[in-house]
Amino acid sequence: MKAIAVMSEAELAAYVQQHLLKRGIRVVLSGGTCVTIFSKSAYVSGDLDLVAEVYARPKEVAAALAEIGFERKGRVYKHPESGLLVDIMSPPLAVGGEPVKQVWELQLPTGTLRMLSPTDCVKDRLANYYYFNDRQGLEQACLVVAFVEVDLAEVGRWSVQEGQEAKFADIRQRLCEAESARRHR
Amino acid sequence: MVETIPMLAPLLGSQDLEKALMYLLCLDEGYPRQMARFSGSTLSALQKQLDRLESAGVVYSQLLGRTRLYRFNPRYPFLKELKALLEKALTFYPEAERRALLMSRQRPRRAGKPL
Repeated sequence: MKAIAVMSEAELAAYVQQHLLKRGIRVVLSGGTCVTIFSKSAYVSGDLDLVAEVYARPKEVAAALAEIGFERKGRVYKHPESGLLVDIMSPPLAVGGEPVKQVWELQLPTGTLRMLSPTDCVKDRLANYYYFNDRQGLEQACLVVAFVEVDLAEVGRWSVQEGQEAKFADIRQRLCEAESARRHR
Repeated sequence: MVETIPMLAPLLGSQDLEKALMYLLCLDEGYPRQMARFSGSTLSALQKQLDRLESAGVVYSQLLGRTRLYRFNPRYPFLKELKALLEKALTFYPEAERRALLMSRQRPRRAGKPL
């Protein structure tokens, strides 16, 4: 087994997930680290947002993570050998008002990483842009589209469902340009 | 101070939780001390409920100077339904309490202007 100090974000997330699963706690990687993985580190997040699929008591989560050396620091967990922060978030696993229907799996040396699909990752980032005017969220969404295949028609459907048709119309061209860049790479 | 009559406390398990949710429903945002003063809860009790709501993703907070401001999290997937439940419960509040929540001044007041 690789030392925690040299694990990538994805490897550490898979390692933590596998351990939590042994304790009956199922989590899925969400947030900026999905962008890191899809964009091959063109964007670096620095923390692992793991969303619990079913509610787990904070005490149980803390005890399970302590078994692999993580200490609680406020609301997040930190390992002395890693600079990455782990945040265990409450269910439901959702993008905006919709549940995540399919979880992506990636086989890694440290275990199976369960994470948002590229399309759900783009929705997740755009939700920050839509609801908090977070420009970084839009840039991250474009970055994912520029690296991996994303179902933009589904992103459009979801945006309308979220009541964000006008904002989606504003950014559609940027997403299409990012998609075009990926095709010509 | 508004001493609200709890309508959802048996369901939510806490009067302070109901007060925090109702405050945010009616006034959109608030900081703990202001919310506690308005609703007659203790600061620590209200803070505990806000922490709980933030951990669950129901609300989010932002630091404005030294003040932590809380709002409903627009990304919370059950927000629409939660607000509908709170709106319904609000119609059961006594008129005085309902008015105090709904008629609290939100528009700006120029600095130095007397009341």
